Amino acid sequence: MPEPTRLLGLLPILLLLLLWQITAAAGIYSAVLLPPPLEVARAFANEPGTLLAHALASVTRVAIGLALAALSAIPLGFLIGRYRLLDRLTDWSIQMFRAVPPIALIPLALLLFGIGDRPAIALIFLAAFWPLLINTIFGVRSIELTLIKVARAARASEWLIFRDIVLPGAMPAILTGMRLAIGGGWLTVVTAEMIAVRSGLGYLILNAQMTFRSDLIIAGIIIIGIIGLAADQGIRLLREQLCRWQEGLTAAPR
Amino acid sequence: MNHFLECLKVSKRYVGPTGTVEALHTIDLACDYGSFVCLLGTSGCGKSTLLQLVAGLETPSEGQIIVNGREIDGPSKDLSVVFQDHGLFPWMTVRRNVEFNMKARGTSRAERRARGQELLDLVGLGAFAERYPHELSGGMRQRAGIARALTTAPKLLLMDEPFAALDAQTRADLQDELLQIWRRHTTTILFVTHNIDEAVLLADRVVVFSPRPGRIKTIVEIGLPRPRDPRSAGFAALVDGLRDEIGQKPAGLA
Repeated sequence: MPEPTRLLGLLPILLLLLLWQITAAAGIYSAVLLPPPLEVARAFANEPGTLLAHALASVTRVAIGLALAALSAIPLGFLIGRYRLLDRLTDWSIQMFRAVPPIALIPLALLLFGIGDRPAIALIFLAAFWPLLINTIFGVRSIELTLIKVARAARASEWLIFRDIVLPGAMPAILTGMRLAIGGGWLTVVTAEMIAVRSGLGYLILNAQMTFRSDLIIAGIIIIGIIGLAADQGIRLLREQLCRWQEGLTAAPR
Repeated sequence: MNHFLECLKVSKRYVGPTGTVEALHTIDLACDYGSFVCLLGTSGCGKSTLLQLVAGLETPSEGQIIVNGREIDGPSKDLSVVFQDHGLFPWMTVRRNVEFNMKARGTSRAERRARGQELLDLVGLGAFAERYPHELSGGMRQRAGIARALTTAPKLLLMDEPFAALDAQTRADLQDELLQIWRRHTTTILFVTHNIDEAVLLADRVVVFSPRPGRIKTIVEIGLPRPRDPRSAGFAALVDGLRDEIGQKPAGLA
């Protein structure tokens, strides 16, 4: 069978557009509540600057929150994964705190940080921190013990063991954590912006609802979806670069 | 006392949740430089534990192990280990795997490349250097494992059931190649196996272990001239004798 083209992924999206067009044209909802696709396209054309500015605000917050989470969670995960004592020390706390949805912390974040970027970034950080930490720990643990022994028998230094064995061995799991972190961070930013900030896609959507601009609501949703897709593709590319050795080793379709 | 490898009253106990298990009980063993010694016994008799101790990957509970006049207190420069399930790093190409032990010793890149290629050619993997381990057959992977162990020109080669997972024909080929390597590069080999025929084919001396606690039951000199013919009467007699020693029925595991 020939390799199916990636463009096949466009088909469900086109069908959804068609369904949307039919529903809008059928007049079940008034055009004020459910504008047809063309009208939303007009919103994109008329206010590209506004949409772009809000999208950029959201993406920047997610990027900062993710970067902070990666810089702290990944090294911490390596340490916890490697040292039993640290694992015993932190396991209960990790399991307890990761169960708290970041959204539940919005009121507290507002009290502590006020309105603005800081509470939003803090919440994204938390949303991204736990999946990154847990997956890094898992990745380090999943490395075959024999491979560590091979390296130790060859008198490899701790640094070489980390760089050539622990890091590449844990990389697939870290990227899985990254993928979950991006999803969680993105979910959190939109919610946080509806409450805590005066910019970003979440703010745009909520504000559009208050001003009866359903075209902007849908435009905002579409942008969220497209950025989500782009982020996922980015991780996929990263995986192809960093984990090329896994090709043909796992059942994952390519 | 000028043996190359000496084990003096070596015991090893593990403390587990179900109590203390004595894996090895006062092992005394001496091997000369350049000899081929097989450790033979059923699973759980401690033969692999002894190998781990000699490799410096674990420490004896009592007694001393001396290699080349120095007491083993960690992985030694004088020896290399070949692991049962080849122990290749899945994220490195065959070349990088073979170069790893040299890298661990700080050998220069150019020297690693040259020496690695030399060993890859020796084991017939010259054309497969840029492949990943999972792209190779079981026999080729174990060849790569042997090549990696030989790159540092070890005076003592420790092999932990290296051919146990291979099919009969591949195993016979690799046994043959190992003997050639042993003859050409004078090195001492300590070879763990549960296969009686393999021990008689390869070894100058077979050290028979008995389990619970693991100890040396007897040591059998294999005086047969090389190359050895497994169908000869002398060979069969030695195999039968060893089978009686480890109490293994002819139809049992081989």
